[in-house]
Amino acid sequence: MKIGVRLDVLVLTIALLSVPVLSDLILSKVDRRIDLTSQIARITSTLKVENAGNDLVSEVLLTIPDNQAKNLAYLTATSNEGKGKVKASAVSLPVEVVHPKGMPPALTFYSVSLPKGLGKGETFTLDVLAVFTHALQPFPEEITQANIQLVVFSDTAHFLSPYTVKVQSLIVKLPEARIESYTKIENTKIHGSEIKYGPYENLPPFSYSPIGVHFEANQPFVVAQELVREIEISHWGNVQVTEHYNLVHGGARSKGEFSRLDYQSRRYVGGASAVRTLVAKLPPRAHSVYYRDEIGNISTSNLWSDSKKTELEIEPRYPMFGGWRTAFTIGYGLPLQDFLFQAEGKRYLDFSFGCPMNEVVIDTLIVKASCLGIISLQYIVHVVLPEGSTDISVSVPFPVKQWQETKFSHLDVIGRPVIALEKTNAVPEHDQHFQVYYKFSNLSMLREPLMLISGFFLLFVAGIIYMHADLAISKSSPSYLAKLQWDEVLAVIQQFQNNINRCLTIHDKLEASLRDLSRTGDVQACKAARKAFDGLLKDLSKDLKPLLAFLQSSPQASQILPKVEELVVKEKDLQEKLMAKHSIVVDGYEKKSGGREIENRIALQQQKITALRQEVDDLLEFIEEI
Amino acid sequence: MAPKAIASPIPDAWYPTLSVLMLAIGLVVTASFFIYEATSSRKTRSLAKELVTGAVASVFLGFGSLFLLLASGVYV
Repeated sequence: MKIGVRLDVLVLTIALLSVPVLSDLILSKVDRRIDLTSQIARITSTLKVENAGNDLVSEVLLTIPDNQAKNLAYLTATSNEGKGKVKASAVSLPVEVVHPKGMPPALTFYSVSLPKGLGKGETFTLDVLAVFTHALQPFPEEITQANIQLVVFSDTAHFLSPYTVKVQSLIVKLPEARIESYTKIENTKIHGSEIKYGPYENLPPFSYSPIGVHFEANQPFVVAQELVREIEISHWGNVQVTEHYNLVHGGARSKGEFSRLDYQSRRYVGGASAVRTLVAKLPPRAHSVYYRDEIGNISTSNLWSDSKKTELEIEPRYPMFGGWRTAFTIGYGLPLQDFLFQAEGKRYLDFSFGCPMNEVVIDTLIVKASCLGIISLQYIVHVVLPEGSTDISVSVPFPVKQWQETKFSHLDVIGRPVIALEKTNAVPEHDQHFQVYYKFSNLSMLREPLMLISGFFLLFVAGIIYMHADLAISKSSPSYLAKLQWDEVLAVIQQFQNNINRCLTIHDKLEASLRDLSRTGDVQACKAARKAFDGLLKDLSKDLKPLLAFLQSSPQASQILPKVEELVVKEKDLQEKLMAKHSIVVDGYEKKSGGREIENRIALQQQKITALRQEVDDLLEFIEEI
Repeated sequence: MAPKAIASPIPDAWYPTLSVLMLAIGLVVTASFFIYEATSSRKTRSLAKELVTGAVASVFLGFGSLFLLLASGVYV
């Protein structure tokens, strides 16, 4: 494989040598730094561009060989105007793929537009960050549990550019471990874990000098083959995030058998490149965190939280060796007010695009904790908006594929609009904030409660209909008719009861008026009250007559008729006695008799009244039980 | 206009209390509805009263169960 790459490069170099220079630009200084401490290759280049021609130049071409360009995950160019340590206000410059004519076929060109045209003799400094995935090839490709993982990285020592480069240098930063071999050309120095190539001076356009580095890299190569992230907004106060991971260890494949004993007891020897734990950095105030897979909860996880972040450390069900896979789901809830904002009549969700698991830590016992990025080959974000959202638009700082879906969740009628964003080859550099704008009326929040309310109301309506419906099959059968009559009797008895009860309350009021009399001595008021109550009682007894007549005529009521009649008689008796008592007392007060005398005169009446009242109450209770 | 954070109209911490309160009221009204259904006879029953009691009960039960869902972490 290594030889194959070298051959490609050779062909490329030959092709390049015959290409003419198209631009008057020269690069007066190029500093490149390749960071290989993680599974992702980050190439930071500082280019000092100088215009040697007469025409105004407004764009700079960057060149990346096709075999590297297919692994390019991220490319940005920023202006670097500040000198030295003061790199204030770095402005990101637009970068796009271009296909200039007359250039060799095995190269991809990117054009960086400068903020303002570059005149004759002017210079401009820009920083270019290029991030490559799969740039480190495991070599050997298969290792046993006890072996260490070695990888190969190849690039060019000379900056590949369509322009003449005056001075350039390259630093390759490797993890602090063994370096198996590296290409030695002129001006190569090694200093600790850094290899320095250059400086090289006055190189023509498209200079190419292949180099390769073979070194130990025991950091786990965690690659997410598919990562689906669902962000669901509820305006009742929650943003629910669910992440489905499908991870594979993308490093050197494991061969031979796995010995749990060796792994557990001699962890310093074997399995150094295995993935033991993963750390997810969740936003602060995350709650209801879970970690599970298809067969249920995975208990090997820890959670720490403080005011700045929430850290979830999870351990897969088994240590992941090269080529091994695992799939799991983590989920958590976030407070709504941290992520949802309103501006200019629209609401928007401001959320970070990257997955929280952009740092992977190997067991701190073995090596120093090192930060590694997860590469997501296919990364899909679903943003689930509440039902009733309209005018949806998305703003993402880099190109993504996007489409709309509908999702049915709790208490939905028409479904919730879903914005799906898909990004292939995502690296931690893509962890930038994106916004989803939409319009939403607060009244739409009432959809869910209205669903519940109408559900309950339907239940009540069903009850009402059942009670009102006449479910009898034969409308003329004797039992049905009997039931109808019995219903009528019951209704009449109920009215009768009401009537008697009202009489009794009037009796109570009469007694109360007597008490008032004894307290205030106001005979006139008492008489007036008596008059009013007399009228009421007369009306009530008038109402009672048809009811009684109905009960007497109805054969169904024959059983309870005696009781009812008795009740009527007793009530009348009670009424008479009460009136008599009332008259006596009022008379007594009018004649200014003593309280003792009045009491003596009504004592007998009072006894009878109490007895009668007791009987009436008993009868009422008996009738009520029917 | 500066962006303004959007929060829930009702603070999250109130959900359990609201849920218990509204469900209790709702269940009491439901009970009175069914007692009325069972005790009144066909002649004395009033449809308006039944509907009003049912509507009041379902409003309380509806909001009560919504808050119960929210309090238990099912954000609808």
